[in-house]
Amino acid sequence: MSKECCGPGYASPKEAMQADREKLLHTVALYVGTGVEKPDYLATVDVDPDSPTYSSVVARTEMPQVGDELHHSGWNACSSCHDDASKSRQYLLMPGVRTSNINVIDTSDDTNPKLHKVISGDEIKAKTNLSAPHTVHCLGADIIISMLGDADGNAPGGFLHINEDFDIVGRWENDITGMNYNYDFWYQPRHNMMVSSEWGAPNTFMPGFDLEDVGAGKYGQSIHFWDFEGKKIVKSIDMGADGMIPLEVRGLHDPDSNEGMFAATLSSNVFRWWKTDDGDFEIEKVIDIPTIDVDGFPVPMPSLITDILISMDDKYLYFANWLHGDLRQYDITDRANPKMTGQVWLGGMLGKAPEVNGVKVQGAPQMIQLSLDGKRLYVTTSLFSSWDNQFYPGMKDQGGQMYMIDCDTDKGGISINPDFVVDFGKEPNGPSRCHEMRYPGGDVTSDIWM
Amino acid sequence: MTADATHKVTVANRGGRELAVADGENIADACEAAGIAVPIACRYGGCITCAGRLVSGSVRQPKGTALNKRQSQDGYILMCVAQPKEDCIVEVGVETHTNLYRNPFLGPLK
Ligand code: FES
Repeated sequence: MSKECCGPGYASPKEAMQADREKLLHTVALYVGTGVEKPDYLATVDVDPDSPTYSSVVARTEMPQVGDELHHSGWNACSSCHDDASKSRQYLLMPGVRTSNINVIDTSDDTNPKLHKVISGDEIKAKTNLSAPHTVHCLGADIIISMLGDADGNAPGGFLHINEDFDIVGRWENDITGMNYNYDFWYQPRHNMMVSSEWGAPNTFMPGFDLEDVGAGKYGQSIHFWDFEGKKIVKSIDMGADGMIPLEVRGLHDPDSNEGMFAATLSSNVFRWWKTDDGDFEIEKVIDIPTIDVDGFPVPMPSLITDILISMDDKYLYFANWLHGDLRQYDITDRANPKMTGQVWLGGMLGKAPEVNGVKVQGAPQMIQLSLDGKRLYVTTSLFSSWDNQFYPGMKDQGGQMYMIDCDTDKGGISINPDFVVDFGKEPNGPSRCHEMRYPGGDVTSDIWM
Repeated sequence: MTADATHKVTVANRGGRELAVADGENIADACEAAGIAVPIACRYGGCITCAGRLVSGSVRQPKGTALNKRQSQDGYILMCVAQPKEDCIVEVGVETHTNLYRNPFLGPLK
């Protein structure tokens, strides 16, 4: 069983936590909606404190076309293929939400990533009637990608299945009955389950966020539990006003675990999900961030929890409040009763920390990525170009920023590292927006164990 | 070429460049052909990246879905699908987007 092997990743979450410290980090950087008519790119950032180029962009890999809106990304292989020596974590798939192109980047030389292939959005639309690719997860030899719309940008979208040569196989799911919209997903192979969430139709969210659309039911408020092998939804839960716009879904890393967390972004609540002993699925709200009345605002301002993740040892939960401007750490040892153990402020609409480490923050904590050992949390400030331009219009001229948060994993507590800031306002081709991050050696939102 | 086969499109914020846009052709393609860079992404009217302003004239926008009612009322069009129905004056680029986006929590909803 535990034969010596050299597939990608690690034998277990415990082993992943012992891995060498990350030296590089890849993030997407966007020119969409900035006025710079250049392609989006993959920015490789030096995060090795002993290196002379620490805390700066050391490589830029341009996509072949303008206008992708790079957003999330995913590896061709992760720890789920650890005992397959023929596999390696070599290709990063970088979908463009706006073009539907999927750019496949070869990171064999991780300081000089190169374009390997583009799966064209036109081909995806023609073959599968899907558009707007989002979350990428590998499933052994295959890869599936959540797609947020049909070829015309209408809901509910579905899941694209591609093979290890990055050719389109077709649609992955057998049945999406019950799904109104699509967004993120997480799967737990040992429990034959998958959980998916709902944003809105591309035709709704592309032009920007409008409360009228929320009132008209054009945003999601349901969470879906799947029979993973049967590729069909077995239970959908409509959360009503408590669960508006559920986005990132995370599972605990312990492969035997059958539970996890997700955030309802607009309602600004965190929910726990789990599979019961008799095979049913349940959720419960475990964190509720109150809205804040702000002078001059006609409605109370939600915190807008836009990203959430769980540490590799399943002890801490982190999430970002993109409108309020804080980043929080919770101890989730008692899963049903998370306890807040740390909080920092970075930018945000409440104006609590307009400048950090000598740079004026554009936006607020948004995408987060935690080191395998749980001690360093990296954070970027851009959400989505048209939404950035609504809430933080300064970002299109000043660019986004990346910061690092030091995390105390023994007693809890977080603080902004004073020596690290990457200001994407200073990029050579002009200010860009930085979004999701990946480490070459795997991370807490990529790796799943079979 | 008949007189109504093309329409004159004046790009006001690019030095008033005048383009002859054929029937069925969209303004974004015409701009690119003339070497005027415009923001572009999906090319099918679904993503708003190419939005610009129609100062005068009228256009057809087959399949254009990315603008909401308010944005259209404020004069925005999607250059990638906008086909002139007559001579038009337009403004292109992200610098026209100031009124395209608004913070929905600021100010009453229309
Ligand atoms: S390029 Fe997407 S709407 Fe025109």
